[in-house]
Amino acid sequence: MKTRTKRDIRRDQLVGVAIFLGVWEVSAQLFDKPLLLPPVSAILAALWDLLISGELLTALGESILLLIVGLFVATVIGFVFGTLIARSKTAYWMLNPYFSALFVTPTIALVPLVLVWFGFGFTGRVLVVVLAAVVPILFSVASGLRDAPGDLIDVARSFGVKGEIPLLFTVRLRAALPVLMAGLRLAAGRAVVGMAVAETYLRLGGIGGLIKSYGAVFQTDYVFAAILPLSLLGITLVTIIARIERRLHWA
Amino acid sequence: MLDRLKRPSSYLPILSLILVLGGWEIVGRSINPLLFAPPSAVVGMFGELMATGELQAAATITMQALFLGYALAVIVGIPFGILMGAVPRFGDILQPYLYAIFSTPRVVVVPLIIVWFGIGFGARLFLVFFWSAIAISVNTAQGVRHARPDLVEVARSFQASRVQLARHVLIPGATPFVVAGLRIGAERAIVGVIIGEMFLQIVGLGGIITTGSSELIPAKMLCAVMVIAVLGTIIVTALDLVEKRLQSWRGEAA
Repeated sequence: MKTRTKRDIRRDQLVGVAIFLGVWEVSAQLFDKPLLLPPVSAILAALWDLLISGELLTALGESILLLIVGLFVATVIGFVFGTLIARSKTAYWMLNPYFSALFVTPTIALVPLVLVWFGFGFTGRVLVVVLAAVVPILFSVASGLRDAPGDLIDVARSFGVKGEIPLLFTVRLRAALPVLMAGLRLAAGRAVVGMAVAETYLRLGGIGGLIKSYGAVFQTDYVFAAILPLSLLGITLVTIIARIERRLHWA
Repeated sequence: MLDRLKRPSSYLPILSLILVLGGWEIVGRSINPLLFAPPSAVVGMFGELMATGELQAAATITMQALFLGYALAVIVGIPFGILMGAVPRFGDILQPYLYAIFSTPRVVVVPLIIVWFGIGFGARLFLVFFWSAIAISVNTAQGVRHARPDLVEVARSFQASRVQLARHVLIPGATPFVVAGLRIGAERAIVGVIIGEMFLQIVGLGGIITTGSSELIPAKMLCAVMVIAVLGTIIVTALDLVEKRLQSWRGEAA
């Protein structure tokens, strides 16, 4: 079997996409049930319409704001508790089980509760994103800090870095950076899901709300057109973080 | 995760459980009962739901969709992944679509699932099956393709037959990847079944959350959430253990 170069793969994939879109378009035209399978041309027209009317950009803006605020809060909380769990056995045994349970509980199951408690405003939605994203960050901080290299810490100590807090920022966090980025990448993927869940539940604005509104009136072409940018948003976010991560591994 | 700390003292988790439950009870009693419920109320609700049989019925419905969908995902996902791995061109062409579908939050696909499959058992089954099948097949394909070339070379130079090659090199090499896929697939399946029950057909454990929220009975919601959390923990932990055991087999080789 000869090895396939990146260019071979790229070429195959482009041909594949062209055939896929062609077959979709033709079969959708022949099938002629736009409710079930809108043709690609109709989806593109819908996408264009959403772009021109500004509906898509407004919704994307809302969603991205929600994502950024949610990820930021999740990072702060993850750092505080992750550091605690890594540095203290007591904290580990007292807190870890709850975070593990949170990790395996589907975020969607928590949404009704969160929205009842914190309202349907921005706060409630941010909290849903935080709940979805916080655990991978927290676990990566905890395991990254625990694996801090002893020799680096000794060197820093001998160069006069005293105290746990300066050590944390000068050595431990930097040594843990690749692990932290891996956690952040996982968290970003989950944050996008959390965002979609928060917005879709009860049609609360943003791109999720847009999709739900068009779904409710069975405009399948518009549903496709609105899902596309959402998927792209998630993929882009994760790809960017993965890029940074790879660069850190080389350093 | 984080399992290198061996249990220093068993009283800490118990102490923390008492603190959390106590704090929750105090806070829960002081808040409007339409918004929040103390653990005592949740336990009471648990007993009530068990006594009427509502909880068992709901859990059965959830488990049926979960296990059937997951079993289908395993049956379809593994052979499909092997095919994707064995025919690299096929795998490469398919990869972007699977990745795109996998990265799309499922709640936003719900409108499409409604027009395609309706809101019945089939639609819920699809939500469980499809995403978990993608996870399983993508990981399987990765495992098949990442067979160590040096081992394959050695086996070939000893004139191993195709069956021997598969039996001694390819399958052991791919197994850890497949098991990782099975675990990710199971996580996806659990979320999928709950989404289906909250957004498509209001039944099962997810349905209890939805009805609890519309009837403003937080104890009912919390009760269902906790049952789901416990079930999820059991399933994921079990697969985690299997995965770890297989990884220690693999040892340093990979």
